[in-house]
Amino acid sequence: MLRVSKLTKKIERRQIIEDVSFDWQPGEIVGLVGRNGVGKTTLFRTMTRQYIADAGQVLIDQHDLGAEPAAQRQLFFVDTQYNFLSNYRLRELPDFFALVYTDFDQSRYTQLLDRFQLNGRDQYRRLSKGMRALVNLILALTSNATYIILDEPFDGLDVIVRENIASMVIDEVADQTKGFLISSHDLNELDGLSDRVLLLKDSRLAHDYNLEDVRAKAKKIQLVFKDKEIPQLLKDHSKLIRVSGRVLVVVFPDFTPELDAQLRALNPVLLEELPLTLEDLFRANLSQDTGYQLLK
Amino acid sequence: MVTKNLSRLLWRRYRQRFWALLGISVLAGIAVALLDAETWVRHSPVLFADQINHWVVYQTSKFGSVSVYSYWLVFVAWLSGMLLMMQDLKENFNQFLFASGYKRQRIYWTKLGMALAGLLVIDVVTAVVQYLTYWIKLPQGTSFNLALPGFLTTWVSGLILALVMFAIGWFAALIVGQSGPLVITVCGFTLSLVGMVTFFEGVTLHMTTITVEWLAVGSWLLAAVILLVWGSFLFNRLSLEHNGEYLMFPRLRVPLYLVFVGYMTFIFSVNANDLQPALITFIISAIFGYGWLWRPQLIEKWHQRRGD
Repeated sequence: MLRVSKLTKKIERRQIIEDVSFDWQPGEIVGLVGRNGVGKTTLFRTMTRQYIADAGQVLIDQHDLGAEPAAQRQLFFVDTQYNFLSNYRLRELPDFFALVYTDFDQSRYTQLLDRFQLNGRDQYRRLSKGMRALVNLILALTSNATYIILDEPFDGLDVIVRENIASMVIDEVADQTKGFLISSHDLNELDGLSDRVLLLKDSRLAHDYNLEDVRAKAKKIQLVFKDKEIPQLLKDHSKLIRVSGRVLVVVFPDFTPELDAQLRALNPVLLEELPLTLEDLFRANLSQDTGYQLLK
Repeated sequence: MVTKNLSRLLWRRYRQRFWALLGISVLAGIAVALLDAETWVRHSPVLFADQINHWVVYQTSKFGSVSVYSYWLVFVAWLSGMLLMMQDLKENFNQFLFASGYKRQRIYWTKLGMALAGLLVIDVVTAVVQYLTYWIKLPQGTSFNLALPGFLTTWVSGLILALVMFAIGWFAALIVGQSGPLVITVCGFTLSLVGMVTFFEGVTLHMTTITVEWLAVGSWLLAAVILLVWGSFLFNRLSLEHNGEYLMFPRLRVPLYLVFVGYMTFIFSVNANDLQPALITFIISAIFGYGWLWRPQLIEKWHQRRGD
């Protein structure tokens, strides 16, 4: 298990992350969400000791990375913004990674380059943004590190590359030996991918959601009533996601059989359950609190 | 195994640089030898003056120039120290190293050991090629009397001078996070050492040449050790959020400012007879130092005022 305990980092007298604590198990895909500039990348850089933490620690299987840095080889992170890869050809990159990650799978690296039609002779800096993201992911997967951090891996990617990355991540956690921590400022990107979502807000970890638990209780319903007026029941127990004419889309964070009965007693013209997305859950649970309504 | 992997990793990173430096250095060594050969007095029976038989640094003789340990090699050391530390910061290799699971101290000392070993190889190969060029250019009837006392003294002195120059570039590149200002800072400091040499020449006027030379070697060595050990202490505390700023360690700003003002005032006034040069240098260096070290904030305020 990887444990982040009370991690704190100040930059230029500004508190970027404060008292951040969470546990992360192999087999989990954890989403880290928060608005731009909230400190997601700083958290990753502090976790991987590129930035020296002002307080707190990161432990892997109870080994403190500060005291026993060798344990850090179980944690993989390539900074998408600043990395040393630019001047090297893709075929040269394993020379570096194999010397750090001793289980680095060279043949799988070559296979994955071939599968995605990436030329080993190409320099990393000549690649498009999407191709670089793909190479970063290939390096992450072939490193065979237990804990893999992906920082905004879908940012600016086309649908095909995005789906490729998502499916590779899902395949990888199937045997429960690897875990992913994926940051994003767009909740839709993490939908269907994360089991758990951490919300970073105002330098702190504001919430740690287990999505299965949340989904078990919440429901998204499309409704049409005869009257234009929104019933009090909805105002009291649901969050309004969308209004289109007389069509209302609402999320009930805590949907019970009693609520179901009361809703049907209002004789709606239409009552239809819709698939609940991650964004709906956040809107329903946090509403004005998170500012997530501005994200889309 | 772990140490071996780290050495292999660092060698993989630096090997191209070392080969390039070796190539340039050898060419420069040949050029120095050819230029020296042009100064040789043709009727001289030996290439070196008598001083090559003494435990003093060999100087150019009346028979012509011979660079036993070329100043070019000192320059190569100075440049390498700066480049090896600066490029890892600018090209973000430090991020990879810090996240690699190797202890920072181990990274620092392995990298330093590799750099110094590489430089020694470059020095030896360059010198061999240079001496061979001398040998080829020897006029008929002239002998090559390379005696150990002068040879060893010159090499020890040259290597220690190269080491301290390496340490200056290395240490400066560790604490300065901007390439242009780093080069200006290191060049300025290196040139200022000429002023220090003038001062020490005055202090050591009554000593013998041998004493002065070995005293200088000892002082350079001590300075190099201090810089390299201090560098290891700082490397352990290097946090990369300051990458791109002038100082990688903001806490050093005030001490650096005080040292800069004191040092500049000292070297410009040490041989003066009155207080005027000291006062003028103090005022100029105090203003310049403040502007230089606090310029991000000053520039920011200037932009804000322009914006208003």
